[in-house]
Amino acid sequence: MVSDSESIEQSYSKAVQDRKTRKREEELLVWPDLVFIEFISALLFMLTLTILSILINAPLQDRANPAHTPNPSKAPWYFLNLQELLLHMHPAIAGVLVPTIAVGALMAIPYIDNTHEGEGAWWASKRAKINAKVGGFVGFFGTLFLILFNESKHVWLFEKITTLEWPSALNWLRNTRAMQTDLPWPEALKNIPVGEKILKTELLGLPPSNLVLDIPKIFIEQIVPMTTMIGLPILLAVIAAKTKIAQTKRDHAILIFSAFMATWLMLTISGTALRGAGMELMWPWDVKPPVT
Amino acid sequence: MTIEKPPKKPLEERIYNYIMNGRVVKSIIRSGYPNTPRNQMLMVATNVFLHLHPTRINRTHVKITHTFCLGGLSFFMFLGLTITGVLLMFYYVPSVERAYEDMQIIQSEVRFGFLMRNLHRWMAHSMVLLVFMHMMRVFYTGSYKPPREFNWVVGVLLLVLTLLLSFTGYLLPWDELAFWAITVGTQMVGSAPLFGEANRFILIGGYEVGANALIRFYTLHVIGLPLITTVFMAVHFWRIRRDGGLARPL
Ligand code: HEM
Repeated sequence: MVSDSESIEQSYSKAVQDRKTRKREEELLVWPDLVFIEFISALLFMLTLTILSILINAPLQDRANPAHTPNPSKAPWYFLNLQELLLHMHPAIAGVLVPTIAVGALMAIPYIDNTHEGEGAWWASKRAKINAKVGGFVGFFGTLFLILFNESKHVWLFEKITTLEWPSALNWLRNTRAMQTDLPWPEALKNIPVGEKILKTELLGLPPSNLVLDIPKIFIEQIVPMTTMIGLPILLAVIAAKTKIAQTKRDHAILIFSAFMATWLMLTISGTALRGAGMELMWPWDVKPPVT
Repeated sequence: MTIEKPPKKPLEERIYNYIMNGRVVKSIIRSGYPNTPRNQMLMVATNVFLHLHPTRINRTHVKITHTFCLGGLSFFMFLGLTITGVLLMFYYVPSVERAYEDMQIIQSEVRFGFLMRNLHRWMAHSMVLLVFMHMMRVFYTGSYKPPREFNWVVGVLLLVLTLLLSFTGYLLPWDELAFWAITVGTQMVGSAPLFGEANRFILIGGYEVGANALIRFYTLHVIGLPLITTVFMAVHFWRIRRDGGLARPL
């Protein structure tokens, strides 16, 4: 009998074994230990929020007037990251594709990183902190760099330092918009009458299609941003893997998640605090409340 | 033969017992006031509000720095928003004619109206922040790993629902800020290559933000989304228990 139950005991997996030998001392009673902490933190929050609410009123501006467009018009702060993206690419990509993919990718995390590495405690895996730092740093400053580039701040810096003008041969390097207008694109590419020449929907008895493709525009508004948003994270992951900073699935998950969160944060900061009238980039102290 | 009576307990203890283990308290808390480990566990297990918890919990999980109470505080914000929200509903009528004036009345004339509105607003912002931070804590403690994958997915849905709740509430004051924020926000929906315009039309009930949008957002905000969120929260909490409590190192 005894030997029987012993052998069963040994056939349990290690996790179950650990559970069985778990010492009682490791556990506390929820009442009072946890309930006390919950109560105190709820109380502190309630108190802080009440004081805040007595001191600061929720904003209430003038009555809505569809005829008056304030400048700038901004979404709520937690969507300003998307509004910031909107300034740099096709609206369908910034407003629909990116959030959809972001939510899908978030949901997919546990199915991709399905190991038990680093489970259940802060920074429990070996390279957790370094990956969080690298990802966070690259995401934050990389995004800042891209925003500054697209606002031609490198041109401004160059002219400030050298007191020369930005060479006109490099005009296309001012920002992505300039790549569309200042590169020597063949005229034919800007105006491809796909609807009229290829689709010919009228042959099917449908209304004639007037679809015209503007390749440079598609390139700048869709291909460049998509390549950037997919390519740079892959590049980051490859470099991190090559330099042995990220070695396991958990490492890569931390790296990319941190980069994503930092990018999101930077976009939110930029959309909120750095964009004034006309959504121009400016210092936070120059951003005025919207004028109508 | 005389039977010795036990010595009388001191007065304060008798009063304490009379109240804490008396009929009134026992009718409310069946196990009596929880002052012994047995009663404390019974209390947690049998009380409808506390039974979401296990009766005992791992020592490391009680440490405030493990969860920072972020999930619990998100839920606390949701409860607070429900209470202040119901109070606001007493005074607020979601019509283009009245919404803005009602807001002014709540802010300046209703007793404690300003407090209700301010609390509701600041709690809403806090909740968005707290849910984001909760997600980061779950991520960096590696608490999404099997068997908790699905609860992470439920969590992401809760995040989306939190954002939608906040966004639908944003329109209700019917001031410039509200109107244009929703106009800009729904324009993003409208830019989708497939069914974008159609979705925007369904969402705001027309081509422009107006009376239809107001009543749609109001209904979603006060009943539709809270109901869905409540269901997902129930699943979320249930799954935490079913998955064996909070994650810990193997
Ligand atoms: C309205 C939003 C939410 C509420 C009210 C909520 C509430 C909670 C609570 C009370 C806990 C217990 C532990 C703790 O406090 O940290 C918890 C755990 C958990 N939450 Fe949430 N949560 C929400 C959103 C999310 C989100 C956005 C995610 C992830 C994307 C998430 C994923 C999880 C997971 C995986 C656990 C288990 C953690 C563990 O085992 O240590 N939740 N949640």
